[in-house]
Amino acid sequence: MTRQNGNLFAFLALVLGALASPRCLALTDPWEFEVYPYSTLSAGMAEFESDNAYVDSGHTLGAEGTSSGTIPSNHLLYNSYEFTYGLTDRVEAALYLNMARPDAAGLRWAGDKFRLRGRLFDQDRLPVDVGWYLELEWHKTPQFDDAVRELEFRPILERDFGPLAVMANPKFEKVLAGAGHDQGVEFGYVAGVQYRVSRLASPGLEFYGGTGLIDQADPGPRQEHYVFPSIWGEFPGGVEYNVGVGYGLTSGSDRLIFKVNLELERFVGRIWKHSSENGWFL
Amino acid sequence: MDCPKHLILKVAAVFLLLFTYEPLIAQEITPLTIEIHFKEHHFTPLKIAVPAGIPLNVKVLNDSHERIEFESFKLNREKVVEAGQSILVHVPALRPGNYDFFDDFHSDVPEGDIAAK
Repeated sequence: MTRQNGNLFAFLALVLGALASPRCLALTDPWEFEVYPYSTLSAGMAEFESDNAYVDSGHTLGAEGTSSGTIPSNHLLYNSYEFTYGLTDRVEAALYLNMARPDAAGLRWAGDKFRLRGRLFDQDRLPVDVGWYLELEWHKTPQFDDAVRELEFRPILERDFGPLAVMANPKFEKVLAGAGHDQGVEFGYVAGVQYRVSRLASPGLEFYGGTGLIDQADPGPRQEHYVFPSIWGEFPGGVEYNVGVGYGLTSGSDRLIFKVNLELERFVGRIWKHSSENGWFL
Repeated sequence: MDCPKHLILKVAAVFLLLFTYEPLIAQEITPLTIEIHFKEHHFTPLKIAVPAGIPLNVKVLNDSHERIEFESFKLNREKVVEAGQSILVHVPALRPGNYDFFDDFHSDVPEGDIAAK
């Protein structure tokens, strides 16, 4: 095992340790059931995306399942609009508008997000392609979350085995304002495998969940863990899609979730010149 | 529902193995460099035969006056190439098979093919 792989092994062992801890909190972002790959938008590219998730069978009390506020998750529609722009060939920025439609009610503003995401080096320069993700999120409280502002960091890992791509985004989140601001860092994860069959439609399997505070995990049944079999591809005209059905694996999870993500990319003009072929960060 | 802690740990262990797995015989092979030109709305050459098992450096030279996005679904690569500029795409050693490439900005540009044999 190389030194790089040894470091990676130690890091993932820590993640496994957090999963095995006796107590944790939930940490899933229902506005964005999406696994991030290593690759980012090229400089000057813009992407408009709408992520939608409907909780067909959830919880009837607030702060249970995917709900983090007073509105319960059962029959809740999560709807987000995301605009992403490639700042350089290695760094992109995105703004999100998060909406939600509680049962029999209209769409309401639920919060916003701003994030930066980047990739290090070029593809296949390292044994595992590594990227990073930094997000600032604020919520409509107390309806959709009890925390006002949160900061999230994710390393992004991807490794391709021919047509099979394996991706993992461990999440580390800290509440900056609102309930929980005096607590430590929460741990969650997003992971997936995708098998490239055809541009029109290919299968995937995605995993989402959270164990809560790194040093004080929720009891197992209270944690949230989901598995989403998914189909992804591109319609003629360039609209990309990812649809899936999510099954909750614990009693703390919602039981059944449907998701539909749609996105469209276009070149709108670059601000900075091309990233250097030999660069590693910008 | 019970917490499937063992299932979650097994899935996490599989991810751990996939990320840390290394072939038993690590080989340092010098990549083969191939050039693909884009001119007059066509890639040249359109069909490229390469040996399987050797990493590739694919140099894409955009000799046209239009911006393109060099993309390969099978190779999981996409990169914008400005008019008059070039990019380098690193590709790991390929298994035998056919690998597409196309211009994602212009659907009427004929699709190319890299055949690894």
